[in-house]
Amino acid sequence: MPLDYPIHDRHLPNGLRVVVSPDHSVPNVTVNLWVGVGSRHEDAGRTGFAHLFEHLMFQGSRHVASGEHFAALMAEGGRLNATTWFDRTNYFETVPKGAMDLALWLEADRHGHLLDAVNQKNLDNQRDVVKEEKRQRYDNAPYGTALLEVYAAIFPDGHPYHHPTIGSMADLDAASVADVHDFFKRYYGPNNSVLTLCGDVTPQDGFAAVERYFGDLPASAQVPRGPGPLLPALSSPVRVDVAGDVPNDRLHLAFRLPVDPTPDFVAAGFALDILGGLSIARLTKRLVRDEQVVHHVDAHAMGFVDGSSLGLVSLDVAGDADTDVVEGRAMEELERFADAGPTAVEMEAVMAQSERSWLSALASQEERADLISHSTLLHDDPGFVNTYLDRLASVTPEQVTEVARRWLRPANRATVAFLRAEQAAA
Amino acid sequence: MSVARPDIAPAEPWTFPVPQETVLDNGIRLLAFDIPGQYVVSVRVGVPTPLTAEPRHLEGIATVMSRLLDEGTERHSPDEFAELLERKGIGLGAGMTESALVAELDVAARHLGDALDLLRQMLAEPAFAEAEVRRAVATRQAEIEQERASAPHRAGREFIATFYDPADRASRPTGGTAQTVGAITREDVVAFHRGNLGPGGSTVVVAGDLSGLDVPTLVQQTLGSWSVPGQAPIVPPVAARRSATAARTVLVDRPGSVQSEFAIGWSGPDRHTDLGWAAYQVLSFLIGGSPTARIDTVLREERGYTYGIRSAFRPRRVGGTFLTSGSVRTEVTVEALKLLLDILDRAREGFTEEEVRDGVDYLSKTAPGRYATADAVAGEAATLALDGLPPDFTTANLQTMARLTPADLRTAINAVVTGDWTLVVVGDTGAWADGIRDLGRGEVTVVPN
Repeated sequence: MPLDYPIHDRHLPNGLRVVVSPDHSVPNVTVNLWVGVGSRHEDAGRTGFAHLFEHLMFQGSRHVASGEHFAALMAEGGRLNATTWFDRTNYFETVPKGAMDLALWLEADRHGHLLDAVNQKNLDNQRDVVKEEKRQRYDNAPYGTALLEVYAAIFPDGHPYHHPTIGSMADLDAASVADVHDFFKRYYGPNNSVLTLCGDVTPQDGFAAVERYFGDLPASAQVPRGPGPLLPALSSPVRVDVAGDVPNDRLHLAFRLPVDPTPDFVAAGFALDILGGLSIARLTKRLVRDEQVVHHVDAHAMGFVDGSSLGLVSLDVAGDADTDVVEGRAMEELERFADAGPTAVEMEAVMAQSERSWLSALASQEERADLISHSTLLHDDPGFVNTYLDRLASVTPEQVTEVARRWLRPANRATVAFLRAEQAAA
Repeated sequence: MSVARPDIAPAEPWTFPVPQETVLDNGIRLLAFDIPGQYVVSVRVGVPTPLTAEPRHLEGIATVMSRLLDEGTERHSPDEFAELLERKGIGLGAGMTESALVAELDVAARHLGDALDLLRQMLAEPAFAEAEVRRAVATRQAEIEQERASAPHRAGREFIATFYDPADRASRPTGGTAQTVGAITREDVVAFHRGNLGPGGSTVVVAGDLSGLDVPTLVQQTLGSWSVPGQAPIVPPVAARRSATAARTVLVDRPGSVQSEFAIGWSGPDRHTDLGWAAYQVLSFLIGGSPTARIDTVLREERGYTYGIRSAFRPRRVGGTFLTSGSVRTEVTVEALKLLLDILDRAREGFTEEEVRDGVDYLSKTAPGRYATADAVAGEAATLALDGLPPDFTTANLQTMARLTPADLRTAINAVVTGDWTLVVVGDTGAWADGIRDLGRGEVTVVPN
């Protein structure tokens, strides 16, 4: 279906890219900032900085006390947070429109003048909080370290995606206030950021408000390096066994994929859905429904910009099944798919489900603002929200087959196998 | 910065959307919300099905049944049914709450009619093929093991086992135990479905951009033909009983854990409370609803002990709980628990005018955004319907909230929180069990994971 969300796009003289997308259905405005720094920009020995830094952005700035950013916006009906990922760091709040100026003032203060407030005490405190985040998400959860193992196995040592966003705790321990200053000066600044306003605001008022609060910030960031060369698919399988106290064996099959956004990346997403994402997916049909040797299959593509994206298939192996046999059968399905390509029904299903999930994502102002910031910062394409369905519709079965042959053969996989301890020892 | 801190313009008044309400010939109540610009239509069907209807030796059967509904019908094999859903881009599934089966359907507006027919088939004519039942049982058993391995789940399971009277269904997991789930056969599932599911008492919510759609007719032509002759009357809901020995501490031993997971709770109200549900929403927010709430101000921002701990009043159909949960690193377990219990106990002394205003403002001013999508409106409307509350409850509740005073909050919290707690900690008990005993909070038991 044709989409026509209004998109207005402008650069401030200091380099800040501003996008305004009016939507008057709810009296709110989402302010969504993407900064062009993520864990892919981190140097060896300095991993985890982009994320630690995101935490420090809530600890006060020149005119804002520690914790005040949260408290001031929440008291006005703001819902807010921030996230860090390989390619970017993201700050966002949705506020009643009467509080939009306050949100912009607070954002400008921390994006321009954070360092006035960074000190040893709040650095130490947030380092502790980040360590608890790591313990909670990765160390104290079954299979919690799976993705860390996957990144390390599928991307070569030294590659920007080899280390996870949470980083190394030893690196965080070694971080000083001076390091934090250097990081901010290098990456934070209007010329390395995109600001999207989505909601009950006119383009005229939106641009004027952003100019009012961000206009005097200098173009201070050193614009980070561009993406590196395309990483080819693995030519022979990589295997990592992790023995642990897990309830059942779980296989993570990882694949390098073409970068986002390219038609090949969209086709790779279709291929993974057909293999393991849909309820009629091939791995689900055979291993879950027919043979009942797997409890659950998941498959999806994660789009990145720096030389590679990532495809991931996970299989929860049933207790009495042989994990090697399960992997072998999954490989048979990969081969079969690469050889023959998708059926017409599979193409129809993957298109229909992709359309619904895209429309569901756009249903909320917050998520729409985030998708606009994403395509603007990483792909220089603010209107992507309106054209993505056309891109999906233009993918042919031949493209899906071609991508599967090049990227999703068994030889292209890295397997991270979580094995119940007694079995791994046998 | 050259620009002064800006003033705030007041927020506009807001009310929860008002549905078009119809009753179908078979007794189903239909609430239709037209929300322009919401291209994916969200449908919820709430079918009152209390867990107490489950035979004791087959607990979890309602959950297993709910998951089997979309695994094939009288007309379509499981593969065919899945294909019909996927080709139209339909998201369909069902699950159990403590008092109801809730089916969820999401679909682009143009396929709504087809999707509603598949929804009807799923509720009225599920096949429950033998192989699918076997698979659903095995999958649920594997999940139970997964939940045992997850600290938050394990803590939650121990909490209900300690807090509720062991004779009460609420003391045991919604999805059953390995033993009771393992005993479920196809015949049991068929009988449970036949005896407990029917259109009488059910509510259908349809929310989205409904322009050009005749929703009452579409629903009448599909779900309107669901009929269960002689459907058993709906059992009135009753409160779950608290255990006579609920005020005690249970430590679940997981040697080597790098964190300790807390579940600390006591009784709470349901949404029908005479004191007004709004007061409890504000209390949840102020005590443990955000990084600026009392708990995280100390445990996260001052001490750096946790990534975040949350407190919330959790309503059931009748009665409820007030539950605090989250994790801290092993070394600070006793100190963190002391701080946490102190914050929880002191909540009974009340909140300042400023705190109350902040909480009321946050909850009331975020409402337009929290209920902006078809999905959120459908979810809220279905929850209210199953709770026996009118669709304007959300609006009326916000009006009550605006008038809350510190005295109201103090009355509300003291009506349910007494200073007694059911306290569960999951982690490496060898490192801190003695320290917890020394807190003098009553009987302490250590159990294996």
